[in-house]
Amino acid sequence: MQSNAALEYDYSVAKLFTYTTILFGILGMLIGTLIAAQMAFPELNYLLGEYGTFSRLRPLHTNIVIFGFTLSGVWATAYYVSQRVLKVSMAESKFLMALGKIHFWLYFFGALAAVITLGMGITQSKEYAVFEWPIDVVIVLIWVIWGLSLFGLIGIRREKSLYISMWYYIATFLGIAMLYLFNNMAIPTYFASGGYGSIFHSVSVYSGTNDALVQWWYGHNAVAFGFTVPIIAMIYYFLPKESGQAIYSYKLSLLSFWGLMFVYLWAGSHHLIWSTVPDWMQTMGSIFSVVLILPSWGSAINMLLTMKGEWNQLTENPLIKLMVLASTFYMLSTIEGPIQSIKSVNAIAHFTDWIPGHVHDGVLGWVVFMIMAALFHMAPRMFKKEIYSKKLIDMQFWLQTTAIVLYFTSMWIAGITQGMMWRAVDEYGNLMYSFIDTVAVLHPYYTIRAVAGVLYLLGFFMFAYNMILTMTAAKTIDTEPQFRSPMA
Amino acid sequence: MFHWLEKNPFFFAVGVFLVIAFAGLVEILPNFGEASRPVVGLKPYTVLELAGKEVYKKDNCIACHSQLIRPFKSETDRYGQYSLSGEYAYDRPFLWGSKRTGPDLHRIGNYRSTDWHENHMWDPKSVIPQSIMPAYKHQFSNIADIETAYAEAVTVKELFNTPYDVDGGVALGSWEDARAAALAEAKEIAADMKNQDVKDLVANDQIPEIVALIAYMNKLK
Amino acid sequence: MDFKELAIYANLFMTVFLVLMLYGYIIHLYRSEKRGEKDYEKYGKIALDDEIDSKPIEEDPSAENKKEE
Repeated sequence: MQSNAALEYDYSVAKLFTYTTILFGILGMLIGTLIAAQMAFPELNYLLGEYGTFSRLRPLHTNIVIFGFTLSGVWATAYYVSQRVLKVSMAESKFLMALGKIHFWLYFFGALAAVITLGMGITQSKEYAVFEWPIDVVIVLIWVIWGLSLFGLIGIRREKSLYISMWYYIATFLGIAMLYLFNNMAIPTYFASGGYGSIFHSVSVYSGTNDALVQWWYGHNAVAFGFTVPIIAMIYYFLPKESGQAIYSYKLSLLSFWGLMFVYLWAGSHHLIWSTVPDWMQTMGSIFSVVLILPSWGSAINMLLTMKGEWNQLTENPLIKLMVLASTFYMLSTIEGPIQSIKSVNAIAHFTDWIPGHVHDGVLGWVVFMIMAALFHMAPRMFKKEIYSKKLIDMQFWLQTTAIVLYFTSMWIAGITQGMMWRAVDEYGNLMYSFIDTVAVLHPYYTIRAVAGVLYLLGFFMFAYNMILTMTAAKTIDTEPQFRSPMA
Repeated sequence: MFHWLEKNPFFFAVGVFLVIAFAGLVEILPNFGEASRPVVGLKPYTVLELAGKEVYKKDNCIACHSQLIRPFKSETDRYGQYSLSGEYAYDRPFLWGSKRTGPDLHRIGNYRSTDWHENHMWDPKSVIPQSIMPAYKHQFSNIADIETAYAEAVTVKELFNTPYDVDGGVALGSWEDARAAALAEAKEIAADMKNQDVKDLVANDQIPEIVALIAYMNKLK
Repeated sequence: MDFKELAIYANLFMTVFLVLMLYGYIIHLYRSEKRGEKDYEKYGKIALDDEIDSKPIEEDPSAENKKEE
């Protein structure tokens, strides 16, 4: 096996997930841009009849970008990175190859079914856990297959010590498994009632405040294990590899990893501040959210210090630029989150547009930038082609960065304006504004946000175009680049 | 110390799992029993109201409306008494929402009527000119799924002891009983409405989604 | 002692315990590297030198056995 010259890393599964990353990215962001525009121009609600209202499309947007785009990206990189850092090829095991393929196709058809049922309005109406039980069953199956595949590859590894990225992928697997199972505990009513009604319908085993608590323990940490942990896995591999600089401090990465694992799960109840859950839980969520800055910034600073003495690469290599900006946005949103978790700030921020603003500087700046950089880095290695255009990446970078800044600044202003207007009282202590006043005043900000959405989407189309031409039309390369990705 | 774990994936995974599971145990379990107790006098939803809750879920009202009044004067002035944990005891799932693009709805039944909802759902701008809420005209022709709502009521009655068929509470009975009761309730609501299609459907023993939704809205007090 | 009081003590104990754990771990990491017992930073190279035929930083003994078979 050792002297087998033909042995190579096998990227066939990583390639498949790369395609769906692009596909779901376009779909999810397209819907996102549409619903952003609907808030500024409500007439756009009537393009698709009952299926085109903001309320119906919003879960499609969130679920396609989370479980379509991001998960595809996570799996594309996981199937790529884990082979390399474990120094073992998937081609060495027929079983793992088959498992990887089954994983992809089950996921693809599962995702289609999910999109269709959601569009039809079949939903549990729990944010980010909307799928009804038959889809949940498929998701669990997909997850188990990924687990087998992940641990299977670890089982036949040559490198004894697991690289940092692997810790984060393992944590992603375990975290989502635990959260998803507990939050989606529901009884299918068709069977429980002896055959009445829709077979799809189920009822949550938790009620009211308990349901809220479990849901936000899930909701917050699905962000943790979907948008943070696996993206950190990516940056720990791709930034050092692309720049040729070993990670600044392995010890710091150890500390941040265990710190993040321990602290993150406590912070879920910051979604429930001033609600009917007990006060001590709200306080706990608030405190741990602030503590969470430490392990988050630990990773981010580790990334920035990795570039120490090599900052010239920032101007020369657009992929480094994408990744450095990603970790900077990670720092921004991990300081913003704790600020919003402080009780007095939360009283103003909760229920307002500041929250989607916060989410989007995290996802647009951190998650999407990192995934795009990762796919750009993988493309020359997977397809043995140069990246089609460096210029396009540069243009896309500035377009999307502008979009993000427009997005979060407009939502900050909108959120704080609304929060303040809701509570504004006149000299006699009466409320100053009716609710609709606080809606009408937001129109300009909603318009700016819609424009930001269009710009960002445009940038993503440029990414997709660049990737597709890299696969089909770019110059072939003979030897695999060691560090910096070649681009025309 | 921990470094050993990085070379032993199994124990590494166990370690990660213990560390992440810990917080959930501490935060969720201690309060579980207390938080599931209803306030005194709380009645479960009727079958029609449950069907309305399904419409609320299906058209995903929580995308823009909360059902949680926080304990601030500005909120109680605007929406009424702040929300209590026990009021949600029969809400599966909870529908607090996380964003108020529109106002809170937890006590909407106190200050909005059937005809107001009818006009508003048909064309929000006719009631509130600056509204950015879309119209939900399809709810006037789509038929609500009463049978599934009945199935849900039976399920929560049997598995979670939700008090149906008890003295002074909500009667459930057999599917035929429940259907008749839902129809009677729907007819009462339709009598306050002016849309002829809705009236015709209800007269034909069919319940449009809008009627179920209004039943649910009126229950939110 | 009711639940609330117990929770307060548990909280205090846990905070102290975790702080000690964290600092203990940091000291342990840096001290064992200073003494030359461990070299943590070499593991950072796993990402850089990741060709299928490059030599692992630390061989997995079980993989070693497989090769000999």
